[in-house]
Amino acid sequence: MRKAYIVTFLLSLFTALTAHASANDAEMADAMRSNGKIYVVVMVLATIFAGIILFLVRLERNIKKLEKKN
Amino acid sequence: MANSFLSLVRKDMLIEWRQKHTLFGVALYVGSTVFAIYMMAGQPEAKIWNALFWLTQLFVAVNSVAKSFLQEHPHRFRYYFTIVKPTTFLLAKMCYSIALMLIMSLVSLLLFSLLLGWPLEQGGLFVVITLVGSISLSAVFTFLSAIAARAHQNAALMAILGFPLVTPVLMILSNLALKAIAPVYQPGWWILALVLLALDLLIIILGAILFPFLWQE
Amino acid sequence: MPEKTFSTAITNFVDKALRQWWWKVICIACLAFTVVGGMLLPVPRLNILNETIRNLYYHVPMWITMMMLYTAGVVYSIIYLRTGKLKDDIYAYQLTVTGVMFSIFGMITGMEWAKYTWGQAWSNDPKQLGTALSMLVYFAYLVLRNGMKDEEKRAKISAVYNIFAFTLLIPLIWILPRMVDSLHPGNGGNPAFKSYDRDFSMTIVLYPAFIGWILLGFWIASICIRINMVRYRQENTYQFEIEKHN
Repeated sequence: MRKAYIVTFLLSLFTALTAHASANDAEMADAMRSNGKIYVVVMVLATIFAGIILFLVRLERNIKKLEKKN
Repeated sequence: MANSFLSLVRKDMLIEWRQKHTLFGVALYVGSTVFAIYMMAGQPEAKIWNALFWLTQLFVAVNSVAKSFLQEHPHRFRYYFTIVKPTTFLLAKMCYSIALMLIMSLVSLLLFSLLLGWPLEQGGLFVVITLVGSISLSAVFTFLSAIAARAHQNAALMAILGFPLVTPVLMILSNLALKAIAPVYQPGWWILALVLLALDLLIIILGAILFPFLWQE
Repeated sequence: MPEKTFSTAITNFVDKALRQWWWKVICIACLAFTVVGGMLLPVPRLNILNETIRNLYYHVPMWITMMMLYTAGVVYSIIYLRTGKLKDDIYAYQLTVTGVMFSIFGMITGMEWAKYTWGQAWSNDPKQLGTALSMLVYFAYLVLRNGMKDEEKRAKISAVYNIFAFTLLIPLIWILPRMVDSLHPGNGGNPAFKSYDRDFSMTIVLYPAFIGWILLGFWIASICIRINMVRYRQENTYQFEIEKHN
């Protein structure tokens, strides 16, 4: 139960920080890369990252099944 | 224990003295290298001389120390297992390899100075560094040849395992040696020499701790 | 023997921790924050580096994760030499292999970063040389393992080599970069990154990045370990049961 509390607290902290960050616009980016295209880059990275994490989670589930079977 | 240690070292030295296999082989190797360099490039300047010398030391170490464990027949280890403690055995092999390597370093130093000149200003310091370097090189390669002997008796395996570990030691040694080549005495070189000696001690102690695990079949 | 109970205490704790979900969720959260926040949050404006300073969140943790995985691998090698159970050898090997994978990532990303900031991909920088050497040492470990088929012999010899190489590697990697001039920050006269980060804007992403990547490294290693444990149990059921009840 305590682990669930710790995890929820950390998740909310990170969400709050990220939300605050995206409130500042792309003008924070260097003069070389502005005009809002940075969000495209972030989207690409987030897609790749989400894909990898989903793959890992699927692996975990399969292994759990294998271990239970034995 | 000192008794068995001494007799093991004496046995190795006797075998070597009767055949003089390593001694002459390595002397021939260094001699032909020196001759080839002289034919190709004359007498090189100090930095290149230093680099060539340490490179030759590396190959001398591999050739002479490889035989320490790899020339024994694998079944003979079982005989040794019954009469002597593993730590004693490893220390005896290391002591023998170090002694052999020291002699070979001095021989190669002599051969180098014959044809390629003596660009060193502080000769005594360089000889000391050579001796310290031989100790570290032979200690590392003795332990690695023990590993290689256990894993299918392959000399190439010993070289593969040894090269990444020995390269930084060689860099430290050549760095130290450059200080001996410089015409001015540079203070602070002894810190590096102390570091090298500490490294030697670490290698020997590590080997002594880990060898009993290799020894068991 | 007091040492053996210590080893079994560690292995039991790790066995339970491997299958928990909470640290994996922390890993995902930290990495998501690093990916999104690392690109969007403000960073110090510096010449030459410009935006690439954000690589700090992705390149440096590769090496940190590699070192932690190698350390865990050495701990398991020592535990194997104490207990003699093949299970511990599986742990040591998988941890080390995952560490090798991270070191390859770290080297490639470092070379890519160097090509556009230092001018060339390989500049004989001592840190690059030291890490290339550590990669060679562990490639030699993989070569050593591949050459032997007998499981117990292979486990024993590779455990001995792992401990020997790691113990020598640490002083060598520490000594070398300090002896020579370097392009890396913090060595050879360059100010360390701490002096760049005057307003702590980078620290806020850096620490979650470290935590996230380290946990990811252990997560991947734990999956590899569990796959190999299932295979070990299937192929060697008798020995597996003996070791479990010892």
